[in-house]
Amino acid sequence: MERTVDWLVVIPLAPLLAAVINFLFGKWWIRHRAHWIAVPAVGVSFLTSIVAAWTVLSRHERLHQPLYTWIRAGEFHVPVELVADQLTVVMLLVVTGVSFLVHVYSIGYMHHDPGYYRFFAWLPLFVFSMVMLVLANNFLVLFVFWEAVGLCSYLLIGFWFRRRSAAEAAKKAFVVNRIGDFGFALGIMLLFTSLRTLDYHAVFEAIPQLSSGTVTAIALLLFTGAIGKSAQLPLFVWLPDAMEGPTPVSALIHAATMVTAGIFMVARAHPIFLASPIALWVVAVIGALTAFVAATIATTQFDIKRVVAYSTVSQLGYMALALGVGAWIPAMFHLLTHAFFKALLFLGSGAVMHAMHDELDMRRMGGLKRWMPLTYWTFVIGAAANAGIVPLAGFWSKDEILVGAWVGGAPLLALVGLVAAFFTALYMFRAVFLTFHGQPRFDPHELHPHDPPATMAVPLVILAIGAAVTGFLGVPPETGWIHHALEPVFESATHHKVSLSLTLGMALASTLVALAGLWTAHAAYVRGTISPAAVAERLGPLYRLAANGWYFDVFYQRSVVRPLDAAANWLWRTVDVGIIDGAVNGSARIVALTAQMWRRLQTGLVANYALAIALGTVLLVGIYLAFGSTLFR
Amino acid sequence: MTELSATHFLLLSAALFIIGMVGVLTRRNILVIFMCIELMLNAVNVSLIGFAWELHQLTGQVFALFVIAIAAAEAVVGLGIVMALTRRADTVDIDELRQLRE
Amino acid sequence: MSLQVLIFSLLACVSILGALGVVIARNPVHSAIGLVLSFLNVAAIYLIARAEFLAVVQVIVYAGAVIVLVVFVTMLVHPDDLPEFHGRRPLRIVTGLVLGVALLLEVAAAVLTRSLSGAPGPWTDEAVAAVGGNTQALGQTLYSDYMLAIQLTALLLLAATIGAIVLARPEAVSERVAAARRTLTISLAHPRGLDQPERPPALPRPSDGQVKPAGSGRPIVLARSANEFTEQPAWGEWRTP
Repeated sequence: MERTVDWLVVIPLAPLLAAVINFLFGKWWIRHRAHWIAVPAVGVSFLTSIVAAWTVLSRHERLHQPLYTWIRAGEFHVPVELVADQLTVVMLLVVTGVSFLVHVYSIGYMHHDPGYYRFFAWLPLFVFSMVMLVLANNFLVLFVFWEAVGLCSYLLIGFWFRRRSAAEAAKKAFVVNRIGDFGFALGIMLLFTSLRTLDYHAVFEAIPQLSSGTVTAIALLLFTGAIGKSAQLPLFVWLPDAMEGPTPVSALIHAATMVTAGIFMVARAHPIFLASPIALWVVAVIGALTAFVAATIATTQFDIKRVVAYSTVSQLGYMALALGVGAWIPAMFHLLTHAFFKALLFLGSGAVMHAMHDELDMRRMGGLKRWMPLTYWTFVIGAAANAGIVPLAGFWSKDEILVGAWVGGAPLLALVGLVAAFFTALYMFRAVFLTFHGQPRFDPHELHPHDPPATMAVPLVILAIGAAVTGFLGVPPETGWIHHALEPVFESATHHKVSLSLTLGMALASTLVALAGLWTAHAAYVRGTISPAAVAERLGPLYRLAANGWYFDVFYQRSVVRPLDAAANWLWRTVDVGIIDGAVNGSARIVALTAQMWRRLQTGLVANYALAIALGTVLLVGIYLAFGSTLFR
Repeated sequence: MTELSATHFLLLSAALFIIGMVGVLTRRNILVIFMCIELMLNAVNVSLIGFAWELHQLTGQVFALFVIAIAAAEAVVGLGIVMALTRRADTVDIDELRQLRE
Repeated sequence: MSLQVLIFSLLACVSILGALGVVIARNPVHSAIGLVLSFLNVAAIYLIARAEFLAVVQVIVYAGAVIVLVVFVTMLVHPDDLPEFHGRRPLRIVTGLVLGVALLLEVAAAVLTRSLSGAPGPWTDEAVAAVGGNTQALGQTLYSDYMLAIQLTALLLLAATIGAIVLARPEAVSERVAAARRTLTISLAHPRGLDQPERPPALPRPSDGQVKPAGSGRPIVLARSANEFTEQPAWGEWRTP
């Protein structure tokens, strides 16, 4: 069922208008009133999304609004249409909801920043791009806004562009994403050349016509885009560096929404992936490896934002694992819950930073529980949800992913996921204990940590509630609200019968694993029965491997960046300066020399010019006489 | 060559034209050069009229008429320039006029 | 050889002689006389070619108006301004002659090795006589097929007239004053140093009637009486330095 409406456009339009207004008038007129435009705009967008979600989910119909025809060239026809189905509205709720809260939080957090108006121009622009990405009805529009969110991410990571590290992090994010986007663009081109259409519906209808090789190529290329955008192995290196941006940006873009675009895209294009078992297998393996690798790295970091960032990478790995084993709904479910608890964790660490005057190193924190009870409790809820402690949000969704992996024919990957879950609990509570428990490792007389102001506290509380209860959307497992909501989208997907014993067994296993991680963290950082230093010593190379991010950055630096740098240097010194500049200067010199010779001809005497004309006439007539019969006929 | 034909007109035209051209090339007095240009224009008219006569056409004559009109206009402007020249540069010798070089 | 050819050849020879006279004559007035001779003979040739109207126009416009104009200007040019005919540029004369001969040979070869092709037009002698003569026939053609062209020609003549007036117009008094200001040094303390354009500055005092301005090889003859400065001076006598 499809219904055409004309109010769907409000969802992207409101933030776009806010962005344009703040961008055009922010610097001179609006300045520190920028949030008066951005926050209501995103609020309107959120409310409209709720209406859209209610309409779609209660009446089981797709909403549809044609906007205009972008390209019409022969058979290549690209209309810009907004389409909202069940998958879209769930994403819309996540995007606009979390965005709204982050906007509110930013009022307090970004206060006194000279780029305040700029922040509130880029942030709604990001919301606009993301919403359009979600609402697109064909791959080209999806790609355009895929790039647009990448641009917003670049702008916001480099928000403090005067700081060299921020500018470089923004550049790194952009370049690494470009690698994935290149594959994504190739996938879309392959899709178009083989099917002559990019419309979702038409593409999914036509998928069975394609050979399995083509479908696999398309699916893998599309997933390359997801690898870049959703920070999967081996392109996850940009995400930890993206923490150079303001913390609300990290919460919104690099945790809750943009990085899930890859997951969303794969879910959206699930008919393509379903047609290619190889591609699904690749997705699952990469997801599981990402979950594990990122979790181990997170355990060794001391920068609180980096811990949370690697945790994001790890959770995105879980989602990719779910997609790969065909557990589409659990993947989206985890996306939903993750958005809440990860935004909460980021905003919580932002509050800690705020209180600690931009201190990020957990080794110089400790005991903050005493001064920041609200932040502490919300952060603990987020950490527990992330770690998968019953009954918080992360438990339900992660559990379903592991069950899905088990029944989806990949029990090994489910075990990898369980191991990663141990590390998840370990690093999350390590962060909690290091930050909030024990004795302060800073001078309390100089720093006076305190709970954040209301604009920051309220979003924290709301997100904490969300992190606590959104898990119940998926209760009971396999038949919860979210399953019914998303069922129509994934009709074509295969459904596995899940026995109650398996569900309970997996729940028990993951709870035990999570509690083990919690116990280990407690033992190491509160009771002190395990010495982290001794463990690191004992593990030796393994510890260094994890602490250095599995040497991915080093590897890229050595294998890609340095050779490219050298090649560029060579091109500059030899080709550009030597050959190209040489040719340009040389030709100029030759012209100058020739001109020195020729200028003698310019006597200024009319008579000489007349002689030249006459000479030309004589020659022309002569040529005509000699060759006229062949030249001029 | 026994009967009058366009060839005669063309030869006369060529002779007049080339005499005029040699005059333009060799003389230094701008007034004489000017007269030589008139001579060349006139030579063109001769060939036009010759063709018109041979082909029983009036187009050649019409063109000749236009050439005469334009020659008259040219005479007026050209002589105006000569007068301006004598006033500003004190000379009608084209070899002394070397402003084109600057 | 028919009589027609004979007459044509005679006329052509005289006309060529006249043209040679234009080029060779030392005196511009003699050149002008040669030009008239050439033009008149060409007009006669037009009569042979049954272009009576053009023959008349040739006499009136070329032999009449243009030549009168040329002679007039020749007389206005100061004889001292006239350049030497011979000397200084033998190379150019030789080159010009060589080029002329080469072109003549080329054109003669072209004319003699080719013949006229193309269908004869409608204006036979009878057809011309039928509309009342050459003038009528030409008129019909001009004012039908060449209407726009003839209008544009009229415009061109107008523009040429205006151009000639602008070119030949004597310089305004204020310009003369400004030119004098630029070249003559006047003390700022002197009353004439003030901006008074209506009073032309004094010209250099002539020593025994003549003065030699810088940059010119020839002395300028100045007017004897101060009253003559109020009138526009005769051409060639009074110059701005």
